[in-house]
Amino acid sequence: MATWVSDEGLGARESISEAHILVTELYNPANQRDPTRINEIQTRLQQLQKMKDAWAIADSLLQSEHSAQHRFMGALTFTVKINVSWNEINQDSAAEIMQHLINRFVTLVNNGEQAMVVRKLASSLVAIFRHPATPWKQAVWQLAASLAHGGYVSEEQSQGVDFQERILPALSKSGSGALLFFSIALAEEALRLDSDPQDGTGDASATQRAIHNIKDGLLLVQFVLTKTIQHENAAGNDAVDIALAAEAMNSWKTWLGVHGNRQRSLAEDVNTLAVQCGQTVIEILRVPSLSESAASILTQAFETRRWAFDDNSLWLISDILANSIVTAHIAAVGSGDEGAESMSFVDLLIAYVSHLNLDIFSDPLTQQNGAILTLIHGIFKTPGYASIDDLGTPRVLESWNEIAESLPDELEEDSPRYNLVKSHLAEVVLGLSSKLLYPKTEDLEDWGEEERSEFNAFRHEACDYLLSAYPVLGVDLVTVFQRSATSCLETRDWRNFETAMFCIAQLSEAVDENGHADQCLDAIFGSDAFARLCAGGETELPLKARQTLVDSFGKYESYFERHSSLLPGVLNILFKSLNFELCAHAASRSILTLSKSCARVLTSDLPAFLDQLDQFRSKPTATVSTMPKVLEGIATIIQSLPSDQEKVQTLERILGFFVQEANTAREEVTGPAHEFGRLRGHLVLSCIASIGKGLRSESEVIDIELIKEGNPYPPSFWNSGPGAETQRLIMEAMRLLIVDFPVDSSIIEAACDILKAGYTERAGLFVFPPSMTVDFIKSFPLGISGTDVIMATASSFLASHARHAMNIRTEAEALIDHVAQLFSSMLQTPDVYDPETANAGIDFLTRLLPKYYPILFNPVKSNLSAESPLAVLLHFTLHVLTRPEPLPLKSSSAFWVALIDLQGISPEEMNILESVYQEFIPRLCYTIIHQIAGQCARSDLVSLNDALRRTVFKQMALARPALKAALDSLNAQVTDATGQQVPLLSAKDKSRFLESLVIARGGHKQSLDLVRSLWLKCRGMDFDYAQ
Amino acid sequence: MSLCQNRLQEERKQWRRDHPFGFVAKPKRAPQGGLDLKNWECAIPGKANTLWEGGLFKIDLIFPDEYPTKPPKCKFTPALFHPNVYPSGTVCLSILNEEEGWRPAITIKQLLLGIQDLLDDPNPESPAQAEAYNLFKKDRPQYERRVRMAVKENQPN
Repeated sequence: MATWVSDEGLGARESISEAHILVTELYNPANQRDPTRINEIQTRLQQLQKMKDAWAIADSLLQSEHSAQHRFMGALTFTVKINVSWNEINQDSAAEIMQHLINRFVTLVNNGEQAMVVRKLASSLVAIFRHPATPWKQAVWQLAASLAHGGYVSEEQSQGVDFQERILPALSKSGSGALLFFSIALAEEALRLDSDPQDGTGDASATQRAIHNIKDGLLLVQFVLTKTIQHENAAGNDAVDIALAAEAMNSWKTWLGVHGNRQRSLAEDVNTLAVQCGQTVIEILRVPSLSESAASILTQAFETRRWAFDDNSLWLISDILANSIVTAHIAAVGSGDEGAESMSFVDLLIAYVSHLNLDIFSDPLTQQNGAILTLIHGIFKTPGYASIDDLGTPRVLESWNEIAESLPDELEEDSPRYNLVKSHLAEVVLGLSSKLLYPKTEDLEDWGEEERSEFNAFRHEACDYLLSAYPVLGVDLVTVFQRSATSCLETRDWRNFETAMFCIAQLSEAVDENGHADQCLDAIFGSDAFARLCAGGETELPLKARQTLVDSFGKYESYFERHSSLLPGVLNILFKSLNFELCAHAASRSILTLSKSCARVLTSDLPAFLDQLDQFRSKPTATVSTMPKVLEGIATIIQSLPSDQEKVQTLERILGFFVQEANTAREEVTGPAHEFGRLRGHLVLSCIASIGKGLRSESEVIDIELIKEGNPYPPSFWNSGPGAETQRLIMEAMRLLIVDFPVDSSIIEAACDILKAGYTERAGLFVFPPSMTVDFIKSFPLGISGTDVIMATASSFLASHARHAMNIRTEAEALIDHVAQLFSSMLQTPDVYDPETANAGIDFLTRLLPKYYPILFNPVKSNLSAESPLAVLLHFTLHVLTRPEPLPLKSSSAFWVALIDLQGISPEEMNILESVYQEFIPRLCYTIIHQIAGQCARSDLVSLNDALRRTVFKQMALARPALKAALDSLNAQVTDATGQQVPLLSAKDKSRFLESLVIARGGHKQSLDLVRSLWLKCRGMDFDYAQ
Repeated sequence: MSLCQNRLQEERKQWRRDHPFGFVAKPKRAPQGGLDLKNWECAIPGKANTLWEGGLFKIDLIFPDEYPTKPPKCKFTPALFHPNVYPSGTVCLSILNEEEGWRPAITIKQLLLGIQDLLDDPNPESPAQAEAYNLFKKDRPQYERRVRMAVKENQPN
């Protein structure tokens, strides 16, 4: 045997014998139920396949007469051994292995070997082809010549015989099949190498050599497919070798991939051949036993290799789609006579239409394309529900959507072709109508969640089509659905009414604001039948139809604003719909938006709405997601009442109920129903907060900048007049649910919303005494969840009084002292450190600085001794900068930016600021430098840089020596190439950094680049995103 | 047609052919009915078997002229309760950051799937809103309640 195979000594013979036994054992039926034994056999076989003797083992197994499994394992062992011995194979041994494998391949094929063995050995041939030492180029040609010759023929000799004219015709049927196996394996390997060039086992030369085989691979495809058609013509469908032809079509697709990736511009003759092969595949559509596979292959090629079809191909395919067995299959899908198995033909139809897009509407329309359009419209007639029983409709719709979208940009409006496409788009709308019908209850009961979602997704896709078609079809499109809606409303055909309203609702995007379809909408909402519905006369309105109707109200907000006389009736339906879980959300949303838009018109209907509210509030659908919206809507209408006196009566009626509810909640939380108590408490405060929002009429919002000095809580109708009782009810509800009530962040948030509701007003129901906010904020202990919302409320409170800051000096001081106490506790007891409180407290300080700094820097309080509130606050902000939590660190950086930007007015203020800078800027610089020297997270660099560059820009004199000292204090060491310990940052690095920072003069990008470079140098380049 | 428009046309086609179930992604329509390819309205369903299941969260994708060299801005509308969503609704995610994980080959489908993953797997290293972040870190039951509320508020139609 050749040099690459070791001598067949005693050891080798034993291994060979063992391998034969192991393979027999592996496939022994008695072992199949013993996974441990199978595993042992496989492990041992894998060891043998990697041994020195593996070549001999492979060859022996391949020649085994025992079973095809042995020969299969022989071929596999060759592949494994080639890969294992990759680095030992040289040019000589590669040539020998190739020759040997070709000989074995030819012998096996001539002996009528099973496909699985031939295929496996074809893979071994590809494995050796891939080796860079293999001198193999025209592999398909050479292997074909060897097969035709009956043994190995060299590449040089094979090139002397014409591949197409002499070699291919000389191949036996099994020879053609075996060659196809190799051809596909080679193409697939070329594709893999091309898409994964990093794969170290191959090299670029293998891809290049594989490319030389594209033409031969395609010629082989053409040869096999042409023979197939000839056989079919001569002897009928039964004479066709289905597997061989399917293999050839698959081979065409794979070689297209290899050719298309790089070679198209270089090889015109191959382009032509690829297109010709495609035409032969198209012809195969006529062969009954192969048409489905051909359709599937062609669809894939249409999607990814459009260049493989020329005008002739398209004509050919249109002819077959229009008049062949394919037409019959598609028509059968449309009539429900064929199921999912025939979808390949529908997919091909769609791929063809998508490929042509508007070009299918030629002028004049070809006979074939006319027939194809009829066929495609016919798909909408498929029985059953789209996406569930009928899979064709959703796919066809996609093509129509593309056509509708491209029409306005591609064709001139009102040109003959434009009008032709328009008529087809309209036909699609009519075809879709029945497909959009919501399932009957009995059908829906059999559906799972996934099927419901699938069908709903289809409905939305269909409406997307309607929106695409609207620019072409115009209001006529709405008219179609309006006519259906009005007639179905009249006849109480609720299922069709729901469909029509669903489409009208989705079209609101195109017609609500511009009023283009107002006449259509008038015809529905102005009808007597709709009036009956509003009056509650249609008790049998099904839930789905009600839900869709409610949705449509919300989508036509502008229309109802223009037609406010319709609103009382519409709101009546909406209030009734609140009782149904399926509709409650949408109904509450629509009540809110419509009440806001048309509050003044609705005041006369307020008593009726309040009655509806009384009924609703006890229903299970009255939740924190629905009820606050309803109350906000009602409050908006109350706000439009002409006098405060009228408002008081209505509000007392509502708020009285909530105080009762607050009492109930308070009782519940102490007992076993504490969770209900918490939920009830949250609902009460959320509703009151929403009333506050609703009462905050836009026109009466005060401009806080214009408020002059004066009493921050002047006597008013609401705090000392007839409205005082109403305000007391709110404060009572707050007291009941805050004082000695379990702390809960949702309740805190709702309570904060109540407080904030009056901050933009001067004298309203929700304007409470300033002390109420301060007491509320101070009442919560350190560390509770919701501190950020509480402190944000404190900030809003101060902002609302900013213009007359000194009038609430006591309250502002109390809040600052409160924050200082929280910070002091956290400094003294690190265990109680709470990042949320730190972040919220520092954020509060940052916001108060611009307007309230005179109170913060009160000369009496602002000495910088360790215990003074100011010193505590500043120390704490620096402490936070050293910690890892991202949000407090960000807030603290922002605080120092604000503080450094601050400019005192009076000499006292300037003196205090100066002493703060003198004392704290060196510490700030020290902290920042240590953080950016690799200590902080990368995402913290931006905020730390902001504080640093501000300090450099505004306080250069203080910052420069402080930064130098901080940089000098960095003493991290690293080991250099010689094993010596050296400083991570040299003195030169440090001084260069400082000088560059100074030159950047606070510029954001320059400064940030410097900071990032320093961080990376200290942290290590592994952290660089660019790596 | 610009590179940006070309790419977005192709994204539109690819999305039509194959998109993950339950997701929505389509260019907004201009008042005249034409498509504004640089502004997409999308919706991301909450993943099954997570707290977010059942919700459909609307998100706008705003593509800059330099797309795909630069990433789109992804903004939940309305803003979403989530640790990595800024109060404005903008999503904070490394693959959306030009200086971090953005690559021009990332498709709209991959972006939306990435954001869907983020919903139930927030990144506490990059908080974008204090409210959700603090509850996530400190009060997980309340965080979960708030997520469930967000799911209720964002039901598919």
